[in-house]
Amino acid sequence: MPFKSIPEQNFVNRDAELSYLKRLIDVKDSAIVNNVLLEGTRGIGKTELLKQLYRSLFWQGKNVIPFYYSFQRATLKVAYFAKDYFTRFVRQYLAFLKKDPSIIDNMSIPLTKLIPLFSTLKLTWMIELIEDFQEHIKDGDLHEQLLGAISIPAAVAGKSGNPVLVMLDDFHLATQLYETHPGDVPGLISLFERSMTSTTSPHILTGSPEGALEMIFTDDSFRGKAERMILRAMPEDAAFSMFRSLCAAFGITVRDECREFMKFLGGNPLYIKNMAKALWKMQRKEASLKDLWECYSYEVSDGETAFYWSSIFRGFLTDLQQRRIAIELLMHSIESHCEVRNLEILSKALGIPVPSLKSVLDALQISGIIQTTGSIRPVRDNILQDFIRNLYLREVEERDPEKIRKLIESRYQLQNNATSCFEMTIPMTADAELVAAKAIEQIGKNISLKPLVITQLQLAIIEACINAMEHSGSYDKKVLLKFTVNPERIEIAIETPGKRFDPDTVKEPTIEEKLHSEHKRGWGLKLMREVMDDVKVETIGDRTRVVLIKNIKSEVIN
Amino acid sequence: MVVSKSLEDVAVIYPQGYLNNLVGESLEKECNACIGKGIKKIVLDFSKTKFINSIGISILLSIIEKLKKHNGILCFTSLNKMHEEIFEMLGITKYALVFRNEDEALKHFRVAVKE
Repeated sequence: MPFKSIPEQNFVNRDAELSYLKRLIDVKDSAIVNNVLLEGTRGIGKTELLKQLYRSLFWQGKNVIPFYYSFQRATLKVAYFAKDYFTRFVRQYLAFLKKDPSIIDNMSIPLTKLIPLFSTLKLTWMIELIEDFQEHIKDGDLHEQLLGAISIPAAVAGKSGNPVLVMLDDFHLATQLYETHPGDVPGLISLFERSMTSTTSPHILTGSPEGALEMIFTDDSFRGKAERMILRAMPEDAAFSMFRSLCAAFGITVRDECREFMKFLGGNPLYIKNMAKALWKMQRKEASLKDLWECYSYEVSDGETAFYWSSIFRGFLTDLQQRRIAIELLMHSIESHCEVRNLEILSKALGIPVPSLKSVLDALQISGIIQTTGSIRPVRDNILQDFIRNLYLREVEERDPEKIRKLIESRYQLQNNATSCFEMTIPMTADAELVAAKAIEQIGKNISLKPLVITQLQLAIIEACINAMEHSGSYDKKVLLKFTVNPERIEIAIETPGKRFDPDTVKEPTIEEKLHSEHKRGWGLKLMREVMDDVKVETIGDRTRVVLIKNIKSEVIN
Repeated sequence: MVVSKSLEDVAVIYPQGYLNNLVGESLEKECNACIGKGIKKIVLDFSKTKFINSIGISILLSIIEKLKKHNGILCFTSLNKMHEEIFEMLGITKYALVFRNEDEALKHFRVAVKE
């Protein structure tokens, strides 16, 4: 799926790498090594760089044929892999010739149906290559199938006279290719060597963790055939520019103060992209630093970033016992802040036998979650650290997910002495909203708000609580209220789990219409909007939050 | 929850405290009873009403509708500033007379009777 990439304008700060990789073809006849190992930590943007390169070559003209392939665990059996690799190449080549990206992912058309399309293009040699490959399938010759697939880019480059740029994502998985069961024929990866030797089909290979590809290329068959390119974290300015651009695409304005959050994300494009998406899901129109922290606690617990890391954990730690050991081990590493050099000591500290630790450490190393070059280095990625904290609290301490989210949020609460926060929970019972109204009355008095303004706040809270009680369908029958007061404004968040509330679907009531209607209700949102400066409705996972905002100007104070 | 008094052909009703569904239902019942007795001039005095929520507002609309059907007159008195602003904003004041207090409303009706 090479076309599933972020828009070009949001892909920033990788111009140098992109243009370098494009020039690989230019040096094809020179003695310079023209295969590249693209390395970098998870989420740093290796895949995205390949996809941007693919898109650029696809539309640029007919000189360089791009081919992108992502290795998947599900297709590592040689028979599946060979067919998948070959078919994807054929589709991508045809799509490139016809400049029709829809052909790429249309897996419903079998190889045989593609032959007539090449026939109309008068590419008889292509038809022969397809027929040869199908013969290998008929014969059941796995070795020939694999060779036929791997060498197809070089073969097409030779026949067409146009070089093929081969982009192999997650190439480290090729070490696990097998014939009938995992591990039965080690070393099948070496068959790629022949394809990489061809000067008309340079390869760009990505892999995680850092160093995984290097291990492959110390093997005799690959030694000296590739150079390394390390994709580094984005600098703060570029990261902020990317974040702003992504948010703008979602209609979200980002305040300047959010720049400092980019440091925390470590210039990782995946996290930046996920945060922008999370803000959009939470229906934010404007993002402050406070919004980002709040959004982050959700993102790292239940958002796409959590899902990303969860899938890696699931993929590499299938055994539940191993998974638990991994979580405890990682948590220990984070909290102790130091490298672990002695497994015996670690084993005693955690009460886990050394062999079990070793097996888990191997899995964590392969997955790219930790690095164990001589010692176990603590996880430095802030987001991964918080994800691990979340897993630990959830799976080891069995804490409530909502409380975990709050705990993570509270780690990063802004230390602003001028801000006061009050929280209360009211039951969904008759007149409980008056208790909340009483609370805001006292808060208002504390900061000398005029009685009229206090009454306005009370009315808005009452309406928000009634809405929450009547429409949320909340299973816990509770409404959470959070009052945040600073010298500039009062924010009251009224939150419940349950049904989503989309204010855009609420028709503005009019008195004339309501007077003649059986249904006379439906004034709540209008009332809130009338007495407050702003009313926002946000969705956080399965929770809906109405945020009432009153700016503190001189005319609202006694 | 609702206190009322009748003065000739005028009824004065005082919703107390929090005009929500409960107080609203009592208020509506009281108004219906007045209309049933042939009293079509109703004064709602809000001097003892602390909050009116959206449910209370919808009940006021029902009362307005019913009185309109019977060619009655509804008056609001002793509205605090916020309730006055809200009634104005929602357009409710187009369907009711607003007086500063009960006396002014009664005075209005007496004048009207004399005429």
